[in-house]
Amino acid sequence: MFWQQLVNGVTMGGIYALVTLGLTMVYGVLRILHISHAGVFALGAYIGVVALRLSPNLVVVTLLAMLVCGLVGVLMQRWLYRPLLGSSRIVPLIASIGMFTLMEDLFRLAAGPYVLPLPVRVPFGLDEVTTSVVTGNQLVVLSSAVILLVLAWFVINHTRLGLAWKATEQDFETAAAFGVNVDRAVAMNFLLGSAIAGAAGVLVGFYYNSVYPTMGSVPAYKAMAIAVLGGLGNVWGTVIAALLIGIIEAFLVISPVGLFLPRDSIAFVALILVLLLRPYGLFGRR
Amino acid sequence: MRSSGRWVPLVAVILLVGLLGTTALGAEPIKVGLHAPLTGFAAADGLSVRQSVELAVKQVNDAGGINGRPIQLVVYDDRADAKEAVAVAYKLIEQDKVVAVVGGSYSAPMRAVAPIYQQAGIPMVAGFAVHPDITRAGDFVFRCGMLGPIEGAAAGEVAGNVLKAKTACQMTMDNDFGRALAEGFRKRAGELGFKILWESLYPLGEQDFTPYITKLKQLNPDVVFTSGYYNEAAQFCKQAKDLGLKAQILGEEGFDSPKFIEIAGKASEGVIIVTNLNRDDTRPVAKAFIEDYRRLYKMEPDMVGASNFDALLVIADALRRAGSTDPRAIRDAIAATKDLQGATGVIRRFNKLGESTKPIQVQIVKDGRFRYFAEVGDPAIITPPEK
Repeated sequence: MFWQQLVNGVTMGGIYALVTLGLTMVYGVLRILHISHAGVFALGAYIGVVALRLSPNLVVVTLLAMLVCGLVGVLMQRWLYRPLLGSSRIVPLIASIGMFTLMEDLFRLAAGPYVLPLPVRVPFGLDEVTTSVVTGNQLVVLSSAVILLVLAWFVINHTRLGLAWKATEQDFETAAAFGVNVDRAVAMNFLLGSAIAGAAGVLVGFYYNSVYPTMGSVPAYKAMAIAVLGGLGNVWGTVIAALLIGIIEAFLVISPVGLFLPRDSIAFVALILVLLLRPYGLFGRR
Repeated sequence: MRSSGRWVPLVAVILLVGLLGTTALGAEPIKVGLHAPLTGFAAADGLSVRQSVELAVKQVNDAGGINGRPIQLVVYDDRADAKEAVAVAYKLIEQDKVVAVVGGSYSAPMRAVAPIYQQAGIPMVAGFAVHPDITRAGDFVFRCGMLGPIEGAAAGEVAGNVLKAKTACQMTMDNDFGRALAEGFRKRAGELGFKILWESLYPLGEQDFTPYITKLKQLNPDVVFTSGYYNEAAQFCKQAKDLGLKAQILGEEGFDSPKFIEIAGKASEGVIIVTNLNRDDTRPVAKAFIEDYRRLYKMEPDMVGASNFDALLVIADALRRAGSTDPRAIRDAIAATKDLQGATGVIRRFNKLGESTKPIQVQIVKDGRFRYFAEVGDPAIITPPEK
């Protein structure tokens, strides 16, 4: 029971990590709270539903969702955030919330209020491999999460692009003076973050076999809490915080504590504690 | 004198127009309001409510309306939210001046608006909201659907006397609806003497049930009584199958949606629910509802729609008998409802509290469809309280 419960928690943690990653990447570079990231996540799931008509293969569907969401992320950066960069930080935040609400309602108008299924086919029949500790569907989510997180880790730490992000994060103008194409770096940041959110949308849609207009609303605020827990902008802190929250939730909801502390509040209780005790996040250093 | 004579034809014309006007007034539509959660998390139910009530209005109007006058439906979205519902109630009362209202939304918003309609003296018939407090707002508030505790007790009856369970667990959705059901189940379990091993509360909108199911597997009860709307329900059944839970899953009206079967897929097979609509009903009203709905909207009807369809039929029937559009007269006529054939069953009467008495339907999922399994008709269980 303990091991199965741990796997349950790690699976949720993996999902949280994928949803939060793009959010924290964007904050790291632009210092914008990108709420509509959760809209991109839901968009990924809807692209998945459309992509099913081309191929039922999970890999193909995920790649298509990543491509479209990445591009939408870049467009958002170009048309929504760039014109607002000079203004006070509350302005892009409000624009982002507005964008998120708009996206939710667009999904509803385009695809209807109903939950749509996402019956993808998983390569190698991975979803049929069920043991006493982990189910096939959990295996699919976990392995995909590992692949995507390793990809993000590689880009951030082992490419010139990752270096450009670090430089841009420190100081826009100095980075530009040293030959970093800041505009391109920021666009690529949105591209990767949004692509991962799109992949997370497909995975969540597959895991629960459900895609619906408001599927981004819980991730919208929970991802925010997890991002702060991990230290906004700190990618690895975010992944660890996401796993921690997933595991704590799995064990807490079935304990007597779960009767008066609902699951979705746990991330926020942790958030309050962290803000009081370690304002720069669990792993922040500043 | 001559000059005044010149006015005679004009006066005649005016009188004639006036007369025509009154006959036109005779066909003036009767405005009935409808609360429905058209957007937000409950939007799918909202669509079902709107389509079903529109179907009821169409059937009534096609059959000649109310003594020649058509019913005109005024629909507003309350997002299944109490604050929105209050605004909708005032709009329906003050701006649209409706004569009666179908309360086609969830328990929380219906609880919030019931006292408003009571105070304004406009009769409201709640469709599928289950909370006991709704009809306690006063004598202008009625309910077509089931009371939560009664529905829960019927589930307890199915668990103990039909499935012969010795042990059970409860997965309760943490809102008015889930808690009202849980209360009834717990009480009936106590009366029948089977044991509840564990009761868990989970939040509305929960998607990941794996932690709960892992624990349920360990406890290994005969039956798990689960409350939830179709999405929670489908997730629970799907994940229970993935993790290999052996207990019989017993659900309630929230499961009663074609979407539940679509999302849960094979995991929905064999799930038993207590609900308000018998798919295998052979009475003409029920068949007409089910068949017209499928033909008109190209989708499966559900109990959410059927309950509100009946709420409109109750109002239409009362309007006919009242012979007037005075809300007070309509209220009295609703209170005097007798043996009305509805899609969900025969509504024998409304009691002093405004509750209706109907047998509770038990359906089972077989080959991807809800089918008849049993019916709970024991008056000791299904008779609602009088106060």
